[in-house]
Amino acid sequence: MAFVWPIGGGKGGSGKSFLTSSLGRLSAKAGKKTLIIDLDLGAANLHTLVGVPYPEKGFSDFLQKRILLLEDTVIQTSFENLFLISGARDNFDIANLPYAQKMKTLRAIAKLDYDRILLDLGAGTSFNTLDFFLISQNGIFITTPEPTSIENVYRLIRSIYFRLIRYCFTAPEFRVLSEEIEKKFGQGASNRPDTMMNALAALYPDRYEKLQDELASFRFKLVINQMRRYDNVSLGPQISRMVEKHLGLQLEFAGNVTYDDHVHDAICQQTSFVDRYPYTRTALDLKELSRQIVEHAGRQLSLRNI
Amino acid sequence: MPKNFEKMNYYEMLDIGPGAAAFEIRHAYNAARQIYTCGSLVSYSFFSEEERQRILSLIEEAYETLINEQTRKQYHEELVRRGELGAGADEAVQKKPVGVFDLKRGPGQTMIMPGRDVLKEKVARSETIGTILQKEDICGADLRRIRQELGVELEHIAQMSKIRVDYLKHIEEDAIGSVLAPVFLKGFLKSYLNCLCLEPVEEISARYLEALARPGGG
Repeated sequence: MAFVWPIGGGKGGSGKSFLTSSLGRLSAKAGKKTLIIDLDLGAANLHTLVGVPYPEKGFSDFLQKRILLLEDTVIQTSFENLFLISGARDNFDIANLPYAQKMKTLRAIAKLDYDRILLDLGAGTSFNTLDFFLISQNGIFITTPEPTSIENVYRLIRSIYFRLIRYCFTAPEFRVLSEEIEKKFGQGASNRPDTMMNALAALYPDRYEKLQDELASFRFKLVINQMRRYDNVSLGPQISRMVEKHLGLQLEFAGNVTYDDHVHDAICQQTSFVDRYPYTRTALDLKELSRQIVEHAGRQLSLRNI
Repeated sequence: MPKNFEKMNYYEMLDIGPGAAAFEIRHAYNAARQIYTCGSLVSYSFFSEEERQRILSLIEEAYETLINEQTRKQYHEELVRRGELGAGADEAVQKKPVGVFDLKRGPGQTMIMPGRDVLKEKVARSETIGTILQKEDICGADLRRIRQELGVELEHIAQMSKIRVDYLKHIEEDAIGSVLAPVFLKGFLKSYLNCLCLEPVEEISARYLEALARPGGG
């Protein structure tokens, strides 16, 4: 079974695609058969980062049944061991993936045979993003040390938290539950994790137990990207401490990635940053991160509802 | 769901153990302030304004209670009464900061370098050292025997001469030539001999170097 690492961040421009391509490149370099999948539906660009400007096939071929197996949409990149499922050349309505198609995709991803699979997710907190993020217990959150980005990553974390609660119920059940909570705890109460969980504990103790176990089984990681010289380096550990304390989700701080103008240069030249500028501080930070991913051999892939 | 922040005890709020010393409490308080204070990037948008104020006032309360020994004792007793803490959990409170340069720590404590007068007398009286010094060639093993006879540790010499222990070890193993330029070697050797009060320094070091330089000698 593959090790899947979804990479999400809430805000656009925080470096999700860059991180995905760099980690993919480093993991491939370390000898792991690595697949990166562009799931930023409707705004795909991962192919450009790995030197495949015009991919001849992609994810949309699978959705539209032009290619039956997801496996067959994989293309080899210009790097050894690094493979890509591109999101390019898709239809303009692909961003709104219907439920059945989403489930089909999730199931297909789980069956792929690669050492490491990295998912590049889109910005925002649409159900697609949340569900793809929850395919594995090892999701990586990425944010920059700016309030806008932090705000969005918190939003994403909370959305994922609610999505997990939501998984425990069918749609009508959930509607009843939120109405009950609103009635009991006042307007807007079903929008707050602590009141929501308290209500759950009171109304459905067995599901509450199950959910507790579920929440405790996730091992999220946090990466702070574009760290400038005068930024607070302990921001990451502080965030992870606070999220663990107030939401009870394990969010391990994985590392800072230093800001570097060369990243911009490498993207403009359409070359791989870690190959073009291997000895910059940023590249070394990325290598450090990739070690955690390449060497990781813990539990993976939760795929409970699929 | 983790324990609600308002239901945590003061130690849990500040993420410290019940035996934390005053400086640890102060440190934890400052760390918590950094996270929750208004305008902090860490908790930006995470809490509503009321929640933030509530948390901050709780942290303030926790700090003021714990930093004052009398109120802390009362609070502690209350926690023990409530069954949240076992009795005697606060025994480590006496903990004091330990200086980085506190030389009384560690194994070095037992080794005492003999004074120079004592060393000189020992050198003059010992027969083993006498016979070794009579020898034409002096090698690293000889030096080590002399040192051990005098009861001096390599660490002592390192401390006195400021030469790294591994270099000193190399000298005693005749392996220093490959590591160090000759000019350094000469200086290090002299310092070594000086620390052991072996005389005449010039002559002994010359004998060692000669033996080392001879093919098959080192």
